[in-house]
Amino acid sequence: MMKIRHPGAGRGPVTRLWIPAVVAMTILALLLAAPLRAAEPDLLEPDKAFRFSARVVAADAIELRYLVAPGYYLYRDKFRFRIEPETVQPGTPDLPPGEKKKDEFFGEVQTYRGEVRFRLPITNTASADAITLTATSQGCADVGVCYVPHDQTARLNLASAAVQPSSGAQAERGAQAGLGAAVRPEPVEGGTAATPADRFAVSNDDSAIARLFDGGVALLIASFFGFGLLLSFTPCVLPMVPILSGIIVGRGTQLTKTHALLLSGAYVLGMAITYAVAGVLAGLSGAMLSAALQNAWVLGSFAAIFVLLSGAMFGFYELQLPSALQTRLAVATNRLHGGHFAGVFAMGALSALIVGPCVAAPLAAALLYISKSGDVVLGGSALFAMALGMGVPLMVVGASAGTLMPKVGPWMETVKRFFGVLLLGVAIYLVAPLVPIAVEMLAWAALLVITGIHLRAIDPLPAGAHSFDRIAKGVGVIALVAGIAFVVGALSGSRDVLQPLAGLRSAASAPETAGAPLFTRVASADELDRAIASARGRPVMLDFYADWCVSCKEMERYTFTNAQVKTRMDAIAKLQVDVTANTAEHQALLRRFRLFGPPGIVFFDGDGREIDGLRVIGFQPADRFGKVLDQVLAFERTTAASAR
Amino acid sequence: MNRRGQWLAIALVAAGAALAGFAFNAWRSAPQAAAADATAALLDARLPDLDGRPQAVQQWNGRVIVVNFWATWCAPCRDEIPILVKLQEKHGPRGLQFVGIAIDQPDKVRPYATEMRMNFPILIGGAETIELTRKLGNRAGVLPFTVIISRDGRIVAREIGAAKEAQLEAQLLPLL
Repeated sequence: MMKIRHPGAGRGPVTRLWIPAVVAMTILALLLAAPLRAAEPDLLEPDKAFRFSARVVAADAIELRYLVAPGYYLYRDKFRFRIEPETVQPGTPDLPPGEKKKDEFFGEVQTYRGEVRFRLPITNTASADAITLTATSQGCADVGVCYVPHDQTARLNLASAAVQPSSGAQAERGAQAGLGAAVRPEPVEGGTAATPADRFAVSNDDSAIARLFDGGVALLIASFFGFGLLLSFTPCVLPMVPILSGIIVGRGTQLTKTHALLLSGAYVLGMAITYAVAGVLAGLSGAMLSAALQNAWVLGSFAAIFVLLSGAMFGFYELQLPSALQTRLAVATNRLHGGHFAGVFAMGALSALIVGPCVAAPLAAALLYISKSGDVVLGGSALFAMALGMGVPLMVVGASAGTLMPKVGPWMETVKRFFGVLLLGVAIYLVAPLVPIAVEMLAWAALLVITGIHLRAIDPLPAGAHSFDRIAKGVGVIALVAGIAFVVGALSGSRDVLQPLAGLRSAASAPETAGAPLFTRVASADELDRAIASARGRPVMLDFYADWCVSCKEMERYTFTNAQVKTRMDAIAKLQVDVTANTAEHQALLRRFRLFGPPGIVFFDGDGREIDGLRVIGFQPADRFGKVLDQVLAFERTTAASAR
Repeated sequence: MNRRGQWLAIALVAAGAALAGFAFNAWRSAPQAAAADATAALLDARLPDLDGRPQAVQQWNGRVIVVNFWATWCAPCRDEIPILVKLQEKHGPRGLQFVGIAIDQPDKVRPYATEMRMNFPILIGGAETIELTRKLGNRAGVLPFTVIISRDGRIVAREIGAAKEAQLEAQLLPLL
């Protein structure tokens, strides 16, 4: 067990770092970012104004979803769809009726706002395992501008009916080789051209945070419910539950258990609705600022705020609403009477506003988190679920008259610290795309080792240790060992967070790599065209390399040496441009592929056309790069099949 | 943590926020620097007119050129066309030259131009024109987008969204 220090007890006046201060500061930062040129409306990038996703819903149909930002709309009759390979054909989309709008030139036009989903039938699906859908849409903003026809792509896997949104999957670790790679705009989405605005973009997928819970919305909501439940076991919530229960049920009245349960339910529901509103607001602010939320600096400050918030959970300082406000809310609550549904419901709604010291930091973090995802529906439902989780002990007490409650004790402090560790973990996750992988690994190592030490991993257990202490120590030892593995891995050159010690393995089996040069060097566009032509029938991989490019060397050392990658690369013609000298020809080549410099790997199919959406920018570990090569080879097979 | 610590924490957050805001701003205004190259690219551009004959934007050098990127499917663009027609009529003799570049199909533009009695040249732009406007400062790639080029070939103003008549005229008068 950790040493317990009750916050506030035996210390000077409790200091409060106000949530409003933190939140206001964040909003201020984003407002500072508003454009200085007054004449220009602050427009979203089309990918943000019209967020696109697609999934396979049946053997012969794709569901497309556009999430249109508030103040923007899409034209119903301007969608166009294209599918690669061309053997698979899009049918007529099943477009829902839109909002009618009078247009003096075209007559009546229909537009979509908010969310629009529709089915797109596809034919001849047996001819391909995976397809790339390019959806062209046209829309406008209410401020009085229209977007030029805009292409968005999704790569869909027909075989397993699972979807890889092309924006996220490829870009995911693309920027990991350090900030140098992160500032390189990369049109991973085939049709979306790189713009200067992408310069600081971490990846094209701004819901990086949502990927934390890759299992989807249900899992995210379940997690928030779980966090809520855990939050109710923190030292400033659990001891209050029986008292609160007494107030809710109304003292002195004889009630059946069912009635008490229903009253508690009304209270929890009131609380949950307030939380849901907060979640929706956070989601809305995120949706409006989603372009800004991709920015490296903004991600960095978010991470810094998470670190600050974690301090509150470790008891370095206290974070709660100003006490004057808390008192006023408490007085308002006391005026309401327990025992009546409406009164109890209002009490719950008000109580959500009284944010205590244990809940404030995780709640602020949850709101930041939601605003990062920019998803209004998700924000509302996640916070609602969290409040329901927090309400569970109250319901249990209401129903069981207190018999089912865990004993109040110092273990609650551990729960609080758990949230501190969780917040630090999220902070590392947020900055992970911005820092070199080695730094990320060392950060994880630090977090794990310190957590392990806190769980007394290396302290001796007293003879009559409670089994809970023994479990805690076990967890501590695991964390410590994992942390050490990260340190060893990072220092031995592993660049894969999921396999920190993989570096040791490949170093041991690496010595035979100094064979024939892997790549054929090309130096100009003409040479490249000739080399691609002479590779006829085989796909081509073109690697941009320079002596100063660290991630290029990492690729050579860790990825290209991998046996599985090697086998796949045997089927591909491998070309390399060494742009160290940076001649005019090199620059022309970089321009042709819209690259600013190495690292960058471009793939061509057997007919010498570039395969869109499969570029590799920055370091990729062997398993991920192997998957890209699989796609290149699969693409090859489908084009060969269609040629037959 | 005492009161000093509290202020320190707030100051840290504030500094981080200010830094983020500043960096974001710097990042957003950076494309302006690249605009000089883009100006040259715009003046060098040769685009087909409504009859399919390539026209160089350069041929109007020496006049105050207002290049308006628009399309018939873009309602806000159509709103401003009458203003452009009127200003061309009024100030054309003093050296003002509107040039419309439509991101559109010629057979959609032709009847519209006739109906609106458009009295300035209209060229047809494609995907590379959209890229060009991005370099000119139209980051999001929207229409209408207007740039004003002075007699000595510098971009003096750019406007996203439909122009208001009085405002546009006030911008143009000192240049004529």
